[in-house]
Parts: sequence; C-alpha cells; structure tokens
Amino acid sequence: MFKDLDPILHSQLRLAVISLLISVKEAEFTFLKEKTNATAGNLSVQIQKLKEAGYIDVVKQFKDNYPQTICKITPQGVKAFEVYVNNLQSYLSANK
Amino acid sequence: MSQEEKQLTEKESLQIITEMIQKAKANIHERGTSAIMWGTVTGIAGLVSFFENYFNFYIGFDIWLIVFAAIIPQIFISIRENKVRKVVTHTERAIDAIWIVYGISIGCLIFFINVVPDVSAKFFAAEHGEAALQHFPRYIFSAGSIFLILYAIPTLATGIISGFRPMLLGGIICYLFFVVSCYTSGTWDMLLMGLAGIINWLIPGFILRSRYLKGKPC
Repeated sequence: MFKDLDPILHSQLRLAVISLLISVKEAEFTFLKEKTNATAGNLSVQIQKLKEAGYIDVVKQFKDNYPQTICKITPQGVKAFEVYVNNLQSYLSANK
Repeated sequence: MSQEEKQLTEKESLQIITEMIQKAKANIHERGTSAIMWGTVTGIAGLVSFFENYFNFYIGFDIWLIVFAAIIPQIFISIRENKVRKVVTHTERAIDAIWIVYGISIGCLIFFINVVPDVSAKFFAAEHGEAALQHFPRYIFSAGSIFLILYAIPTLATGIISGFRPMLLGGIICYLFFVVSCYTSGTWDMLLMGLAGIINWLIPGFILRSRYLKGKPC
C-alpha cells in the first residue's frame, strides 16, 4: 500500500528548495535562485507556499542597506522531507 | 525550474534531491585568509623565539604579542566573510564552533601559564617554607607541548570534518611534534611550535586560497 507523496514537496521547484535547505543551516534567497535557476517571481511564490505549510522559516532583513531574505528549514520541514524520501524509496523499490 | 506545477515522476524527484544536495555541498568555498594569517604569525613567533633563545639575542619586544595583535584583523576578516556568505552549511557551522572553542582554550592556557607558577610557589612555600622557594621553578615545564596538543585538535578536527587532507596531515604531524617536544628543551619546543604553525595553517591556507581562486570547492 503506497502513501501519497506530499503535494507540497512533490513539485519541481519546491522540492529543489527543500533539498538545498536540508543540506545547509540557512541560505539567502539569491543562493536558492542561483542554484535552482528559477526566476525571482516563481521562487518567491514557491517559498511562500513552503512557509505557509510551516516547512521553512523566512527572515527578511537589511544588510548594507539592501534587502536580504534568509530561508531556513524548520523541524516540521525536516520531518516532511524524511517522510517524502521514505515514500519515494518505497515507490522506487516497488518499481524495480 | 520554471515549470513548477509539472508532474514529477519518482525518478525525477530523486534526481532533483541528489542534484540539489550536491550543489549545496559544492558551495563550500574557504578563502584561506584566516589560515594564512594565523599560520604566518604563529610561524614567525615560533621561529623568532627559537632563534632568540638559540643565538642568545632579544629583538626588543615579546614576539608572541603579534599573535594577540592578529585578533584585530581576524575580526575584520570574519565580518567581511560573513557579509559575502550567501549560505551557512552545517559543516561550516561545526568548524566555526571548533575554532571558537580553540580560541577560548588558547586564552585559558595563556592564563594558566601566567598564573599557575606563582600560585604553585605560594602553596609550595606554605608547605615547605620560604627558603625552599630558592629552587622552585617559576615556569611550567614543557608548556610548548600543551600548545602543540591544542594546535592539533582544531586542525585535525577540521581536516576530518571537511575532508581537507593538508589539515588532516598537519594535525597528525602536530601530534608527532607534541611527542618530540616532550623530550626537547623549551628552545626546540619554540621551533616545533613555529613549524606547526606553518604546516598546520600557512601551507593549508595557501592551498585553500589557490583552490578558491581556481573556483574549486574545498
């Protein structure tokens, strides 16, 4: 019996963002944009969805008079990612 | 990554996860500035101390003061590096913590070396009388050996965590220097401390700098 994959994470860009954030303590918006090759607008929308789901924390501040957005995965986000990967593994092993 | 609502297959999902984790890992870029600076000051201080003792001359001030003076540029280096840092990895955070603890420990060791001989002398005098103090040493025997152990700890730990071989090797050599220093006089301990600074930090620092300039991750 397969469990449904989390729809919040089962999206190309959101999964990419969570996968980057799981590997680091925190990352700037510009770092996520650079690594995912996404547009700023699209990335902002997906980050907002992850934030609303409680999977990431977003801090907006100023650094040298420039706005800076820092993203950090939450414990809830880590748990969701673990569940997603486990479910993914069961799908993949069943398809072997 | 613009087609955000595109339906992913399981294999595509796995590919994204792997690719992004690799990208995050590959981002670790250490410039080596701090390592070069600390390697230079400890190397110079150790070698100058050795030559002073070995050839019996004095340069007019305690050369180890340059190590204290290096704290000021280190503050500026840290502020500058934090400004350009777009991401903080768990590895970087762990390594930063190790070096902060090392800095505190070195401070405690300097305090220990300056305070303990006089305190020990007081206790010794209380037990054996003031006259016995005549032959009581007012210094810590082989203090350089303790410094060498401390030098080795963060260097080896950084080498292991980051998989950076020059520091791993430097840490191991530093432990060998520690063993040697247990059998040598304070003069030769200074030489070992200077060499440890060069092997532990200066050489790895230049390697890091060269990799950074070539755009390769550590």
